[in-house]
Amino acid sequence: MDKMKSALEKILAAKNRRRKRLAALPVPKKIAILVQMQRLAAPLLKAQGRDSYIWKIGGKE
Amino acid sequence: MRRTFQVLNELKREGIISEYAIGGAIAALFFTEPSFTQDLDVFVKFPEPEKGHLITLKPIYDALRERGYREQREFIEVEGIPVQFLPASGALLEEALREAYNKRYEDTPTRVMRPEHLIAIALQTGRAKDKARVCLLMEQARMDNDYLRSVLERYKLEKEFAKWTR
Repeated sequence: MDKMKSALEKILAAKNRRRKRLAALPVPKKIAILVQMQRLAAPLLKAQGRDSYIWKIGGKE
Repeated sequence: MRRTFQVLNELKREGIISEYAIGGAIAALFFTEPSFTQDLDVFVKFPEPEKGHLITLKPIYDALRERGYREQREFIEVEGIPVQFLPASGALLEEALREAYNKRYEDTPTRVMRPEHLIAIALQTGRAKDKARVCLLMEQARMDNDYLRSVLERYKLEKEFAKWTR
């Protein structure tokens, strides 16, 4: 049980470190991540019959 | 994105709007990790209307249509980004617009609502995703706690804030 707790704590700590790193990124990089999220979400939203938009940043889309 | 901000600045320069500020998830993204959104919320203030004239978003839509941008439901797509224009009406939104930060996106100036106001607006709006935004901003954004307290007091949101951040 202690081992599992310690493993879970390590995972949560690593997740928190990653989230802090993401928060510290320059805004254009965060926007690029957001567009990637939109790409991943698009098929799921479409399957639910919902609208999906993928931003056309820099004419790439 | 840079071009979208440039278009907003042009609308201001041309007097179609007197001021604007980015709100919602994209404003939060300036202070926190990115969270999912599909639109850019832009709160706007118009020049004083002539007496008896109603304030509408029509002048913005007309100016953008003239530039070749197209509407899609509640959005208008500006340089590949669905933008939702919202009038900054009500004391909280007016204050948030007035006191927004001047920021830069790459080399382009823009205006972004302060995290303290983003929290207050999310508390007033009250959807599940607003609650998540409050938690995210509290966790990651650098804030002036005295200023946050004063905003929450001014708009009587202290109880809601306490409930949401328990």
